[in-house]
Amino acid sequence: MADSSLRPSNNSNWWSQLSDKLAPRRWLEPVLLLGPAGLWLFLLLVIPTLLILEISLVPGLRLGQAAGGYGLGNYLQILQPVYLRVIGRSLAFALGSTLLCLGLGFPVAYWLALMSPKRWRNLLLVAFILPLWTSSLLRAYAWIAILRPSGVLNTFFQGLGLPAQNWLNTPTAVFIGLTYSFLPYMVLILYASLEKLDTRLLEAAADLGANPQQQFWKITVPQTFPGIAAGCLLVFIAALGDFVVPTLLGGASSMNISRLIYNQFLGPTRAWGFGSALSMVLIFAVSLAIALLLKYGDRSTVTETSQ
Amino acid sequence: MPQKHPLMSDLSRLGGLTRRRFLQSSAAAVAGVSMANCRQNITGPQTGGSGDASTLHIYTWANYTDDDLIAAFTERTGIKVIVDIFDSNEIMLTKMQAGGGSAYSIIYPSDYMVSEMVAEGMLTALDPSQLQGMENLKAKWANPAYDPNNAHSVPFCWGTTGLLYNRDVTPSSPTDWNFLWDNQEALSNRITMLDDMRETLGVALKTLGYSYNTNDPAQIEAAYAKLRELQPHIAAFKTNGFENEILTGDLSVSMAYSSDAIALMEESDRLDYVIPTSGTSLWTDTMAIPSTAPNVDAAYQWISFLLEPEIAKTAVERLLFATANQAAFDLLPDDLRNNASLYPPDEVLAQSEGIQPIDTASNDLFDRFWTEITSA
Repeated sequence: MADSSLRPSNNSNWWSQLSDKLAPRRWLEPVLLLGPAGLWLFLLLVIPTLLILEISLVPGLRLGQAAGGYGLGNYLQILQPVYLRVIGRSLAFALGSTLLCLGLGFPVAYWLALMSPKRWRNLLLVAFILPLWTSSLLRAYAWIAILRPSGVLNTFFQGLGLPAQNWLNTPTAVFIGLTYSFLPYMVLILYASLEKLDTRLLEAAADLGANPQQQFWKITVPQTFPGIAAGCLLVFIAALGDFVVPTLLGGASSMNISRLIYNQFLGPTRAWGFGSALSMVLIFAVSLAIALLLKYGDRSTVTETSQ
Repeated sequence: MPQKHPLMSDLSRLGGLTRRRFLQSSAAAVAGVSMANCRQNITGPQTGGSGDASTLHIYTWANYTDDDLIAAFTERTGIKVIVDIFDSNEIMLTKMQAGGGSAYSIIYPSDYMVSEMVAEGMLTALDPSQLQGMENLKAKWANPAYDPNNAHSVPFCWGTTGLLYNRDVTPSSPTDWNFLWDNQEALSNRITMLDDMRETLGVALKTLGYSYNTNDPAQIEAAYAKLRELQPHIAAFKTNGFENEILTGDLSVSMAYSSDAIALMEESDRLDYVIPTSGTSLWTDTMAIPSTAPNVDAAYQWISFLLEPEIAKTAVERLLFATANQAAFDLLPDDLRNNASLYPPDEVLAQSEGIQPIDTASNDLFDRFWTEITSA
C-alpha cells in the first residue's frame, strides 16, 4: 500500500477506480435524500391509511366483537339522512368560513401588499402571523371567554347599548372560530400573490379610462386568481377536518364530520368500521381539494407561505 | 365517575392535570388506531404479560387517588405506584382492547363496563383468599347486579346523577327532571346534559315513568321523541367542561355526576345539586384486575389496602367521594355522613336504579337515537 501511493503513475488509475466504485452515487444520492422522509411517510401515513381502508371495508366492525367478512356496508350507512346532514353541515361550515376568510382577508392582504408603508411591511406581516404561535386549542378557549353570555363581547355590546347575544354553543360561534383560525393563512397566501401584481397594468387600465371597479375586476382579480384559489382551497381543507373549534364552540347543535368520527372511535358506539369509512370519505374529499389546489392554485405562493 | 368527558372538553380547566389527561386520551386514541391491525386485539383478550414486581400501574379516574394515599401504600408494601388517568369508560376500554393498557394491574371500570369487560373475558376472576376486608363493604354491594358476588370487581365508590344549578340564573329550584322541559324556553342554550348515551336518554325514560334499563322499543322511541323536544335548547352534551360556565352563571343547569357536583359546590355557594324526585341512576365505580395484568399480587394488595376502614376513611375525607365501604363510612365525621348530596336518603335511592347492560337490539336502538340527537 505504501508502495503504490508513492508512485504517481498509479494515481490516475486509483482515481478512476474510485469513481467507478462511486458510480452508484447517481441512484444512491436520491435514495439517501428521500429515504428517511419516504420511510417516515410510508410507515406513518401510507400504512395507517391502508389499515383504515381495510377496517372501513368490514361492515359492523366493533371492538371486542368477531369481525365478519368484507363488504361496503359501512359506506352505505353514510347515506342515511342523519349522516348526510352531518356531512352537509361540515361542508357548510367549511364553505362559509372560506368565504368569510376571503371577504375579510382580501382587503387586508391588498393593503399590506400595495398600500402599507414599505419599511413596516414585514413587521405587519409578523404581527399577522403572531396568533399562530399559540396553540389552536388555547385560541378556541379564548373564544369561549369572549363569546359566553357574561363574556367580553357582551360586556362590549352592553356598553354600546346593544342587546346581549348568547352565541356560544351555536353554529355562529363555529363560523367565528373557524374564520379566526384560518384567516392568517388566507392573508399570507393572498399577500404573496398580490405582491407580484403588476401595478403598471393598473396604471395602463386607468389611462385607458377604466374606473377603479373595472380595474379591480378586470386586472387585479384575474391576476391574483391562482392565489385566491390557493387560499380558498387551503382554508376549505383545514376547516372541513377541524375538530377543536366545532367541539369547543359548537355545543349540541354543530356535529360535524370530525366529531362524528371521534364518536365512532371513542364514543359509546365504538363502531370502528363505520368511523373508518367516514375517515376515508374525509380523506377522499381532502385529496380532491388538494388535487384542485395543485391544478388551479398558485403553487409558488402556497409553498412560500407554508415555509 | 368524576371527570368523564370527551377528548377536548377536559381542557376547559387549565389546571395541572388537564394537559396530561389530554395527552393521555390522545395517546389512547393513537394507540387504538395503530394497533388495529392486530386482529386478535380487536376480537379477543390478550394473555397476561410479565412485569416488574416492585411497581404497580393503576389506570383510574381523576381524583380517585392522591399522593398521600400512594405514599402510604408504598410505605406499607414497598411497591411503587404509577397512576394514569382516564376520563371515560369507553376510552379506558379502547386502550385496553387495543393493547395499550397491558402495563396496568388495576383499573377502575364503572358498573356497566364491568359487565361488558367480564363478557369479553378482559377481567381476572378474583381470588377471595387473596382479598382482605370484603366484609367491610355495605350490604348493598355484597352481590351487585352488574357483577354477581363481586366475582371480578370490588366496589370502590358510588354516586348519583342529578341536576347541578346556579341559583342566580335559574328561575326556580328544580326538583325533578321535568323542570328542564317545563322551563325550556327560559333555559334555552343554558342547559348542558351528560355526553353519555344511557344516562341522558335514561333521563327521558325516567321522566316518562319508564326504567333506565328498558328493552321495549316503543319506550325507547318515546324517550327519543321526548329528548328531541328538549334538544334545540340544550347548549352542549358535556360530561365535563361545564364547570367554569356554571360557576359564572353562563349556564343555568347542568346534568352532572354527584361527585363532580359536590366538588364544584365547594367552590361556590351559588350552586346546588338536586337528585330528581322521580329517581335517577346510581352508579358504582369499581377496582378490577385486567386479565393482562402483569403484577397480580400487588394488585390484590392495593385492593385490600383500600378496603381497610381507616385508609378508606382518610381517602374519602380528602377526595370527597361516596364510599361503598360501610366500616369506613361509620368512621366518617357527621358532616360528611349527613351530606345528602353525597349520601342521599334511602327513599331517593329506592326510586333509583343502576344502569345495566341491555340486549343488543335495544343497544343498537339507543345508538341510533343517540346519534340522531347529537347530530341534529
